This record gives sequence, C-alpha cells and structure tokens, in this order.
Amino acid sequence: MLKARSNSNTFATAGADFKEIWFMSKRSQILLLLVLVLFVGNCAKRTMVVLVPDPDGKVGCITVSNLAGSVTVDTANQATIIKDQKTLPSAPKELEKQTISSVFSEVITIQLLPPVHFILYFQRNATTLTPASVKLIAEILSEIRERNSTDISVIGHSDTLGDKDYNFKLSKSRAIAISNLIVKQGVDQHFIRTTSHGEENPLIKTKDNVSEPRNRRVEVVVR
Amino acid sequence: MKFINIVIIITIISLCCESFGFENSEHVGIVKSVTGDAVILRNGHTFAAEVNTKIFNNDLVKTGSDEKIGLVFEDDTIISMGSNSQIIIEDFLYQPAEKKMSFVTRIIQGTVSFLSGQMGKLFPEGIRLETPDAVIGFRGTRVLVKVE
Repeated sequence: MLKARSNSNTFATAGADFKEIWFMSKRSQILLLLVLVLFVGNCAKRTMVVLVPDPDGKVGCITVSNLAGSVTVDTANQATIIKDQKTLPSAPKELEKQTISSVFSEVITIQLLPPVHFILYFQRNATTLTPASVKLIAEILSEIRERNSTDISVIGHSDTLGDKDYNFKLSKSRAIAISNLIVKQGVDQHFIRTTSHGEENPLIKTKDNVSEPRNRRVEVVVR
Repeated sequence: MKFINIVIIITIISLCCESFGFENSEHVGIVKSVTGDAVILRNGHTFAAEVNTKIFNNDLVKTGSDEKIGLVFEDDTIISMGSNSQIIIEDFLYQPAEKKMSFVTRIIQGTVSFLSGQMGKLFPEGIRLETPDAVIGFRGTRVLVKVE
C-alpha cells in the first residue's frame, strides 16, 4: 500500500514537466485514493489499549469489553489488541517500553501542568478566613498569572454543624467571598466558576452536627 | 395590533430562553496546549482550538497531520491527542456533592492518552472510553489508546 503510494509520488515528480503525464498521474492518484478509501473502509479498525503508570507511578486497572466478552488489564505496560467487535480482545501482553514510547511518542511528549488545588479555611460559622489562609491568596493569584489561567473553580464547603440548608448557604457565601476577593485583585470574573457543596463533600468525614475546622473550607482550582 | 404584540412577546421570550440556555451550558474542559491547527466541531460549526478554548459536551476535537492537543477537564482529567486523531466528548458530568458523575469519551481515530482525575478516585464506574470495537471501563490512572 505504502509502496504504491510512493511510486505514484515519484511518477508525479518525474512527470511534472509533461502536462499529459501529470494529468495521468493525477488520475492515478485519485484512483489510488479511491482504492485506499475502499480498503480502509472494508478493513476493521485495529485498536490497541495500553495500561501505563500515571506520573506518580500508580497503576490502575481497566476492563476492555466488546460483543465477544471482556479482558481485564491490571499490570503496567500491558496491552490488549482488539481486531473487531466480535473477537475477544487479546490476552494482555507486556509491551517493551521502547515500543510504547515510539507508538505513543506524540501523546507522551505533551506536557500539561495538572490543575492546582488550594484549600482555604474559615472561622467557625463565618466567611472570614483563618490567618494562615489569608496568606494563601497571594499564592493563588500568582498561580493564576503564571499559568495565564482562564478557568478557575471556587467551591465552598461547610462542616456538618447546623442544618443542611443553612450550611449550603454558608458554603455559598464563603465561595462568593473568595471569588470577590480574587476579582478585586484583577482576575476577570468570567474566568471564575463559583459553586457550593454545603456539608455534602467533607474533607474529613464526620457524623452530623460536628464542628470540624478542616471541613470549613473553600477549594480553589486553577487550571 | 394584538397579534403583533403576541408575536413580539413570543420573540422576546424565545430570545431570552436562548440566551439563558447559553449562559447555562457550562464548559467541561479547556484546551491547555496545542500544536498546529487542531479544530473543534460544535453544532455543525468548526472552531480553531487555541489555548484556553473551552470544551463543551458533544464537542468533536480533531487534529490533522503534525498536530496535537492537550485538554484539561473540570475534574482534573487530562486527555492528550496525537496527530490525525478524533474524539467526541459525549457526556461529562461532575457534581460530586450530588454524587452525579460520568465521563464518556468516544475515540474515533488516532492516538489518545487518558489520565484520570478526581472522578477516577471518586467514581471510576462513571468513566468509559468508547472505541470502534470495544469499550474501556476504567479504574484509575492512565491508559493509552491507538485506533488505526
């Protein structure tokens, strides 16, 4: 397939001076393209799935399923190949690191900064930051500027002391207070998405009606 | 006269609804790195994908030859795509407080790296990568996929 393609390319270059041959080569190119399209169209798409460690070295687990059944991959650098929908994905087989880095060189070399999470703590039943958290604001602002971030989440939380509705409102007010603070420092408010989780998403799991300073917080995510 | 009034009111209402709907549709991710002229197909329109371009549900992200792109999602998931690749963000939902989470991505073609974020820790059952001939269920961290 590749050979035929390069032949036709050589043909095109050699015949560049002769209009007639050029025309013929153009036609042969179109013909070749048509054959290629038909070939690819008829061919089942071959899929390769490789489980690799994340940047911290952790390895997860995946299940690859189709009409024929499923295969579990739970070891680093193991791959399964899927021929078509009705053929069971191949038994996991370890790939050489070199093979992985050559097949996936493009996606492996994309370096993206993972989003940064900041946690700001509050005084009890208030939208006032603790002194230690006040100092974090400057860090948040410099992270936003360094990354040129246009996507910032501000998520309010509360502890479980008091009733749910009240805590939802409190966590919302906390998020809004932080959002306003950042906007005041020159960050475009359209870049910020403010949400609140109330007492539903605690950092430290507690029973209901427990005062827990570590749950009275606002999470700021800078992407 | 009455008829015209009704028409005007209906038009105003529909315009309001439309703009309200637009305000309401929230982005699910953002382009953080791009090489070449990668594009996003949305509602029949094609946009250039640039750094900080927002990604919405049902977007098709497409790269040509010598192009690659890196996307960061609201739950910290990172998707990187190599050249000649196409994916569709079919369903991204991240509301951990209400325990509503799902991330369905269809890989149509090309090479893709999927590095899971918060959802991988909180609700991995909600993550699904669809390829033409198989579905990948996910329990954490990173997977590389090539669809020829």
